[in-house]
Amino acid sequence: MELFRVSRDVYGREVLQGMSWDLIWVFFAVGCALIVGHALYRLLLAPKRR
Amino acid sequence: MTDPTAASSGTSSVGGRVTRHAAVDRAFHWVTAACVLTLMATAFLPILGLTFDWIGIHWITGLVLIAAVLFHLLRVLLKQGFGAMWIGGRDFGDAAAIVKATLQRDAGSVRKPGKYSFAQKLIHHAFALVVLTGVGTGGAMLVRIDTPWWKRNPYLLSDATWGVVYVLHGLAALTLITMVMLHIYFALRPEKLLFTRAMLRGWITRAEYSEHHDPQRWQVER
Repeated sequence: MELFRVSRDVYGREVLQGMSWDLIWVFFAVGCALIVGHALYRLLLAPKRR
Repeated sequence: MTDPTAASSGTSSVGGRVTRHAAVDRAFHWVTAACVLTLMATAFLPILGLTFDWIGIHWITGLVLIAAVLFHLLRVLLKQGFGAMWIGGRDFGDAAAIVKATLQRDAGSVRKPGKYSFAQKLIHHAFALVVLTGVGTGGAMLVRIDTPWWKRNPYLLSDATWGVVYVLHGLAALTLITMVMLHIYFALRPEKLLFTRAMLRGWITRAEYSEHHDPQRWQVER
């Protein structure tokens, strides 16, 4: 998986085009993991608030 | 020492309710939310295969977001001050107590916060950083498109510099995916619904105020 999108200019040099859009799913997956992790923690491990 | 929140929150208590967010601040929140969701949709849906003419909606929404952010900055500078969201020594003490309580599984040892908890201040600053990066880079990218007010000028910056601008804009957009998901998740959690209601209707009850806040750190007018 690439982190960046790159292209080449008229001189053949690499030009940065931005972040790779493959990362959309990475950031989405991180969000899902944090939500599920927190929900499980609150459900199973967190102390009951007084 | 009194939390700076007390002096700058501009909150009041009327009829068993404590005002948490003024109408103008709620309007800012929801305008910003609508803009961010629209910007994310117009940015990512075409990438995911739903093609439509997104660029016009995207840059116009970006202008609205820039205006909203400038309004919020002016309101903070001229009226609200930085006190309510300032992270000071006591907040780090709160954070340490939360970590300790989490490890020891003893929620009773965590001190009540002022108007905003350490976590709420952190997420505010994270959103501020990411949204400011997005609007700053997006504002620069506006010179690359034709609008009714100016003609495009793609040569304002070098290709290498534009590359950095695009990377920062994209990174802000990608980060917002995770942050918006978490923000909505926490807003919908049962124990946080009072804050969501406060962002919709402006108030929490006095019982909620007593249960969730330290009155010494968030003093409201009676």
